[in-house]
Formats: sequence, structure tokens, C-alpha cells
Amino acid sequence: MKRWLLLALLAPAAQACELPGGAAQPVKSATTTVLFRTVPLRIGEHFAVEFAVCPTPQAVKVDAWMPDHRHGMNYKPTIAALGGGRYRAEGLMFHMAGRWEFVFEVRSGSKTERLAHSVRIE
Amino acid sequence: MRRGLLAILVAVAQVAHAFSDAQVRAIASHGPWPPAFKADPSNRVSGNKDAIDLGERLFFERRFSSNGDISCSRCHLAERNWTDGEARARGLALVDRNTPSVANVRLQRWFGWDGAQDSLWAQGIRPILDPREMGSSAAQVATLMRADADLLCRYRKVFGAPLPDDDKLLVDLAKALSAFQETLASGRTAFDEFRDALLRQDAAGIAKYPAPAKRGLHIFIGRGSCSTCHAGPAFTNGEFHDTGVPFFIEPGRVDPGRHEGIKKLLSSRYNLLGPYSDDANRSGATGTKHVVLEHRNFGEFKTPSLRNLALTAPYMHNGRLATLRDVVNHYSNISPDRLHSDGEAILKPLQLSEQEAQDLVAFLQSLQDGGGNYRRKPFAADCR
Repeated sequence: MKRWLLLALLAPAAQACELPGGAAQPVKSATTTVLFRTVPLRIGEHFAVEFAVCPTPQAVKVDAWMPDHRHGMNYKPTIAALGGGRYRAEGLMFHMAGRWEFVFEVRSGSKTERLAHSVRIE
Repeated sequence: MRRGLLAILVAVAQVAHAFSDAQVRAIASHGPWPPAFKADPSNRVSGNKDAIDLGERLFFERRFSSNGDISCSRCHLAERNWTDGEARARGLALVDRNTPSVANVRLQRWFGWDGAQDSLWAQGIRPILDPREMGSSAAQVATLMRADADLLCRYRKVFGAPLPDDDKLLVDLAKALSAFQETLASGRTAFDEFRDALLRQDAAGIAKYPAPAKRGLHIFIGRGSCSTCHAGPAFTNGEFHDTGVPFFIEPGRVDPGRHEGIKKLLSSRYNLLGPYSDDANRSGATGTKHVVLEHRNFGEFKTPSLRNLALTAPYMHNGRLATLRDVVNHYSNISPDRLHSDGEAILKPLQLSEQEAQDLVAFLQSLQDGGGNYRRKPFAADCR
């Protein structure tokens, strides 16, 4: 009974991971959820990534690369923490069509996780 | 019977030249052409009629060079799509690289083969000061301006009075040069007509595009993956790649390409983060702010536009390849051993047949316009 009560209390916290402002793509591991959206995403143009990380980590990085081409972006994004586990990364650019992979590197304590999400850009 | 056979052959030929939905989207991405004009936020006289007029005069002005004999038009000839036909440019001395075209130059993000400049006006300053090109100085340019009543009058019409210090004056003149170069646009091509016909499903328009060019286009957007880097309406992604062209300038001297270009960019007082940009909130400086220097940038050079490239031989950053066919052969037979071991894994030898190579050249030739938009007019010293 106590266990069910504990789970019931925890459940709203897990559901609270959200990124206000529109639809967002989830990327999950066993312990971490990243919700993100790109603003906007067109080939050859700089774009931003708005994202939320739950639970709020101590540090976060975002990068992207083309695994098939074995190269990353030509630009290093800067990240601004907006509070409450929400962030905005600026300065990303996908300079060619094909399969790109976003990589969110999330550090909490001594643990660093890498959460990846593939997108195909035409 | 014969008529029936002919119909079958025509149908087969049509199928062979048909494009899938994904291919049509890929073809559509190379237009529309021409793109709409968008003023450069870092240049307060971008699109200004008087600035364009002054810039045109400056483009052909030889007195700014240290020997009084070299203008921008020495290497950028309209009839050669604003290149010079030489393997490597020559001003006061031989330069290390091939003259890049200034047609459609306003569409670029980085300027020069190494992208050492992030604005067209900053790019205009570089050859004026380079001792191998015009070998001049801000002081020499300012002295000439102050002594020439007509140029001075035109300057004041554009920028107002009084005249600033020499360095700022040089930047202003480069901004007028930039305003002129922004007007240099190539015209519509057979490919553009085909692309638009394809999108509106105009069978007659589609049929006008020659079969070899259609087959070459298939290779360009498909097996050749050429459009991976030669992307968008200008057929360039505006970024930098190692294409396996040797970067030795001469024995013992190498061209570091983008690696050195990024260093020059970030240390230049003329970059978009510096004091001369007219873009108050630096909205156009995102690339300069975020560009990152990596070892793989060594030997990378900017992807050139392919529009009107039949007029811009010889090819590659050092003019090493004489003809379009040589370029196609380069990518057909490229040796992966020549590419950076820690670089991109994009290029592989295409191993094209003779027919395929000819078709790819036919497609590239279909990117030529009917003559561009520039007509040189006589200059009169009549400014009031």
C-alpha cells in the first residue's frame, strides 16, 4: 500500500516535464527526459534549439553530427539556462541534407548521459 | 505496328527520365531563381542607388592600386562570369588561388575560398590592401578620394559629410563596392525553366530540357550526391570541404584553406562583430560568433556556386583542373587516400561510365544563363 502511495506521489513529478510554447520532441533514457524543438530548422541557416531536461541537471551540452558522413557542425552552439530545467541553444546549423543526430549531454553529479535523436533533413 | 513500337519506346524513355517525389523535392530545392533581394544589415548603403553607382565606378577604378593600374575588374571580367580565365589570379604579383566569381555573391555567407571574411564589404577591402593584388593602403585610397572632386561628391551623396578618418573611409568605399556587387546576378537557365515546368507539371516545358541534362541531373541529385554540397538555388551550401585537391602551392608551401581563414576572420577588425558593422544588434553575425576551428578545416575550401560555371574555367581553388570534364573525372576517380583521415566521409569515387560523365557535364552546362544582367555604362564626371 505504501509503495503504491509513493508511486502515486512521484507520478505527477514525472509528468511535469514539459516545454511550454508548442510541440516538442521527447528523448528519453531510464532516468532523464529531454524535450526539444528547433526554431526554425532549414538547411544552411542558423537555428536555435529550445529544450527542457528533467530532472534538472547540473550541466548540459547540445551538439549535432552526421554519423554517415562522420562530421559535426561547423558551429559551436551557446546555451543559455532559462531556469526550471529549460534552456535555449543558439548558433546551430545543418549545412547539408541527410541524417543528422542531435546529442544532448546531461551531467548530474558524477554521472554524464548522452541522449541522441536522429532527424533526416531534406 | 511501327507506330505502336515508337509509342512504347517514347514511354520507356519518359520513364527513364521520370523523377520520384523525393527527386522532385530535391530539384525544387535548387530554386526559385532569381531569389529576392535582401539588404545586408551590416551595410547601411546596401541597395542604395547612389551607393551602387559609386561602387560601380570604384570597381573599375585603377588609381586605388599602388601602381595605378589594377582595379577589381582586372580579375573579375563580366564576360567570364566575373572571373579571369587564369588558374591563379595575378595582380601586382601571382596570387595563390583561382579568382572566384562575384556573380550572385550577395547570396554567400562567407567570402573568399577560405571564408576569411564574413561580409561582402570586408571582402572588398582585402584585395585593396593585399600587396600581391592592389597593394594599396587606407591612406592612399583616402588621398585619392579627397583629391577627386567627382568621387568626393558621390561619396557625400551616399554617406554625407564630413569625411571620416582614413580607415572608416576605406570601409565606406568597400560598402559602396559591396552595394554594386550585390546587383551582379546571373539570369535564368535551362535548368530553371525545367525545374519550374516540373513543379507545375508542364509536360511541354519538361520535354524541352535535353535528355542528357536530365540524365546528368539524376546523377547530380542521386548517385553522385553532388547536391549534398552544391545545394540550394545557388548550388552551394556556402561551407567548406576537402575535395582531395592537393593544397601544395609550391614545394614546401601549403595553402591551409579554411583553417587559416577562420583565424583571419576572428582576428579581423573588419568582421561582423567589430566596430564597422552597421548591424546594431549583430543579427547577421551568428556564424562569426559560433564558428569553430577544427583540425579538419586544414585544406578545406568553400563550395563554389555552379551557376554559369561553364564560363569560369579553370576550376577548383587553385585552378588545377582545366575543363568541366576534368572536374567530373576528378570526382569519378577521386582517391580516398587523398582525403583527410579524420575528415568527412562524403566523397567516394563515382566511377562514372563515359556516357554518365558526358551526361553530368551536359547537366552542368544547363546551368548557364543567357548572358547575365550587367551592362557596362560610360562614366561621366557630372556629380553635383
